[in-house]
Amino acid sequence: MANFILRKAEPRDVPDILRLIKELAKFEEMEEQVVLTETELLQDGFGEQPFYHCIMAEVPEDRRSSDGHTVVGFAMYYFTYDPWIGKMLYLEDFYVMKEYRGMAVHTQYIHSTAVKSRCSGMHFIVAEWNKPSIDFYKRRGASDLSHEEGWRLFEIDKEYLLKMSAK
Amino acid sequence: MDYTIRVATLEDCKDIYRMIMELAKHEKVSDQVKIAQRDLEQDGFSKNPFFQSIIAEVPEQHRSKDGHSKVGYALYFFAYSSWKGRSVYMEDLYVMPEYRGKGIGKALMSKIAQLGLAAGCNQLNFAVLNWNKESMDFYLSQGCWDVTTGLDYHCMRCEGPALEALARGDPKN
Repeated sequence: MANFILRKAEPRDVPDILRLIKELAKFEEMEEQVVLTETELLQDGFGEQPFYHCIMAEVPEDRRSSDGHTVVGFAMYYFTYDPWIGKMLYLEDFYVMKEYRGMAVHTQYIHSTAVKSRCSGMHFIVAEWNKPSIDFYKRRGASDLSHEEGWRLFEIDKEYLLKMSAK
Repeated sequence: MDYTIRVATLEDCKDIYRMIMELAKHEKVSDQVKIAQRDLEQDGFSKNPFFQSIIAEVPEQHRSKDGHSKVGYALYFFAYSSWKGRSVYMEDLYVMPEYRGKGIGKALMSKIAQLGLAAGCNQLNFAVLNWNKESMDFYLSQGCWDVTTGLDYHCMRCEGPALEALARGDPKN
């Protein structure tokens, strides 16, 4: 029997998606920053023009977690565009519950999704202190654009967006 | 100087491509542009576009010396934050050198903010090179903040053979 299956997310997965988002945010000590709701996740991921896509990792019943979950991991991604090289895949979140790690759960699925959709590359963000993840990706040929090319990611929040759009 | 900001159409791809190449040439990296004009047309103007764009246009009497009236563009797409939901990512913002200093760049960015808010977005994200102090200072003065410094986030990329190897699950230790 397989250890786990990977499948595209369905609307019924929304509660698990939010649960896993919060678990990952807790690990990053940012749990209070998650303001997204199940309603928004449902609307934004399963409407006519989805803002994101999700892959879920599920284990059989007999391998349920101590809290009774069979959905034990997810990857959230969407497509972006680089005007020099074309379509890209952006990996927004990638998380597997602690007790199920080490099974190389999502990496292949996500990366083959990128290749199958004819994306020229995949982008993602890693926190500087997360050395294991940085090393994991660097060993597989990823480049640290912040370090190598000096890119800094900026953000404008809604309050300033409103001011900017009124000018 | 008078100018208009409007949503780009398929016919604008020629000028968008021209300006992408201008920007790349200016940065002395035009060999890094791997896409052709038809890729822009396909990727931006089919049923499920991978990007959106807006154009800055000037009237006939203000055409550039090469005869161009489309003098700036911005390229953006919708993204998603697993913490906050819908967001918009500004990928490119460019104004031809002779048209700078007239508020066109700011107007293009303002239009993206409007379109983003209309689509239900909570944030606008973009990247700036660390040597571009003038731009960084401008964005900071507009209320933006530097996520790379503030949260120690590094922007990573995996492409070409590395992406294919990752997809195959090649063992790496």
